[in-house]
Amino acid sequence: MQLFIEQLINGCALGSLYAMFAVGFGLVFATLGILNAAHGTYASWAAIAALYATEQMGLPFPLALLAGVIAGGVLALVVDQIGFQPLRGRGAGMMGALITSIAFWIILDSLAGLATGQQSLSFPPGTTPSRMLHLGPILLPGIQLVSIGAMLLVTLGMHMLMRHTRFGSAMRAVGWNGTAAALGGVNPRMVVVATAFLAGATSGLAGVLAGVATQNVSFALGQGLMLKGFAAVVVGGYDDVRGAAVAGVSLGVLEVMSAQYLSSSLRDGITYVLLLGFLLLRPRGLFGRAAFVRA
Amino acid sequence: MEALADFWAAYQSTLGFVVVNAFFALSAYAALSTGVLSFATVAYAAFGGFIGAQLVLQTGIDPLLALPAAGLAGAGLAYAVGLLFLRLEGHWMALASLALVLITRVVVLNAATLTGGVNGLSVPYEVSLGALVVLLLIAMFAFHRLSVSWYGIASRAVREDPAVAASLGMVPRRVQTIAFVISGAVGGIGGMLLALTLQFLAPDTFFINIAFTMIAAVVLGGSYHWVGAVIGAAVFTALPVVMQALVPAIQDVANGAALLLIMIFVPRGLFDPRALALRRTPVAKAAGGPHA
Repeated sequence: MQLFIEQLINGCALGSLYAMFAVGFGLVFATLGILNAAHGTYASWAAIAALYATEQMGLPFPLALLAGVIAGGVLALVVDQIGFQPLRGRGAGMMGALITSIAFWIILDSLAGLATGQQSLSFPPGTTPSRMLHLGPILLPGIQLVSIGAMLLVTLGMHMLMRHTRFGSAMRAVGWNGTAAALGGVNPRMVVVATAFLAGATSGLAGVLAGVATQNVSFALGQGLMLKGFAAVVVGGYDDVRGAAVAGVSLGVLEVMSAQYLSSSLRDGITYVLLLGFLLLRPRGLFGRAAFVRA
Repeated sequence: MEALADFWAAYQSTLGFVVVNAFFALSAYAALSTGVLSFATVAYAAFGGFIGAQLVLQTGIDPLLALPAAGLAGAGLAYAVGLLFLRLEGHWMALASLALVLITRVVVLNAATLTGGVNGLSVPYEVSLGALVVLLLIAMFAFHRLSVSWYGIASRAVREDPAVAASLGMVPRRVQTIAFVISGAVGGIGGMLLALTLQFLAPDTFFINIAFTMIAAVVLGGSYHWVGAVIGAAVFTALPVVMQALVPAIQDVANGAALLLIMIFVPRGLFDPRALALRRTPVAKAAGGPHA
């Protein structure tokens, strides 16, 4: 029972990372209509930036985390304005943006490899929350609580922003139809810039926390998050923040539990079969509503 | 003359990979020509590649004779995938096929009797460069015949506007299913050719990198004509080789940057039938061109 509860919390913490990444990834897909292959590299670069802030500038962990988050957001913003902005209004559609994002994926991934010297780095001991909490017989690493708390905050904040503010309405309007939103008095350029930054920042947060939790800061960090985050977005429905969060946490728990009780070689298989099942049986996701598109 | 021979020796293998990637790109183009963005070619290639390789390894027949089996395997899988996936709307179809790519790797890792599992599968058979080129020429001829057939016209109509195509008596789902079967056959053959070119299939051979390479090749070359797929595959295969010769330290970065520049400045691809038509006939220019 003790093992079960510990693994459950492990799974929730891991799933929280997937969930945060998925929130950012889904935001870009829903609002900007981009299947962004470069999204995982934002997480890698955020972790690298936080590591740099810790090691070279000696910043305490909360400030280093903030530096990583801002780095993720700024990187997403720069990629969007250099790579995706020229394609808008040219009718390049989803394909063009996909290819551009692949180009950025190649560039940023290999640059991250150069920045870390093709190695897996880790935060120096004592610079990150490493305290173990004792809840009766159960041991809880502090970083896991930080991850779960951050996920709850991000999900709640993003949901409030999307559903209960004017800016959120503007974002959803641009996601539905940019031209119509502009006619309605929304400045699409502003919405695009803010969305890109927010998406990069959330994924950056996931990246930094994943780098701390797994003691691994390298270019491979983003790709792992990317595959699972992608699955979470599809299962949860990409236009709803809550769905992505619930799906992300569930995938994390499922992954840890199946590795513990079934077989670790089938761990990824179970995730992806679930993903495919959802796509075929309920393509709009957990919380998604049926959309009607005019022919 | 000697310099030419050196050049040939150094870049012979690149030409082989151009042919293999052209098959993958043609497979992606086949689905795209009916308006479906699908990454599932990776799964067809894996299926065809491993079945073809096992056939050669078990029976010892000539690898070229196993090619039809690889194509059939790919086509069969593609038919099943088409039945399941073509119900999905645009974006979801692309996502589902991407999920299929991820699943392919898990299946390859776990079906060790067919694929060799984590150890991979050694395929100690060679296929000559001439044979590869001839196969590509046959495939190109087939795509040419298809593009001027009734199927070609139907696929263009379905791509431009499925609703209009349906009102003209075409069945978009059926046209797309045919496109999937073609995509599967070409992809399966491509997978087998990749096995023969690499002479080794690792569990990571058929993974996201092929999916992205082939889509990049199609869009780079021009997604409105099958020639674009072949041109794109040639450019996209040669690019890393050129970059390695020019700037070895940052070759990956240079690859990405080149791809980015092409997308920003030639978004419709290198071979664009509309641009050619516009240049040829001033009337079409005034009317906005056939694909406007």
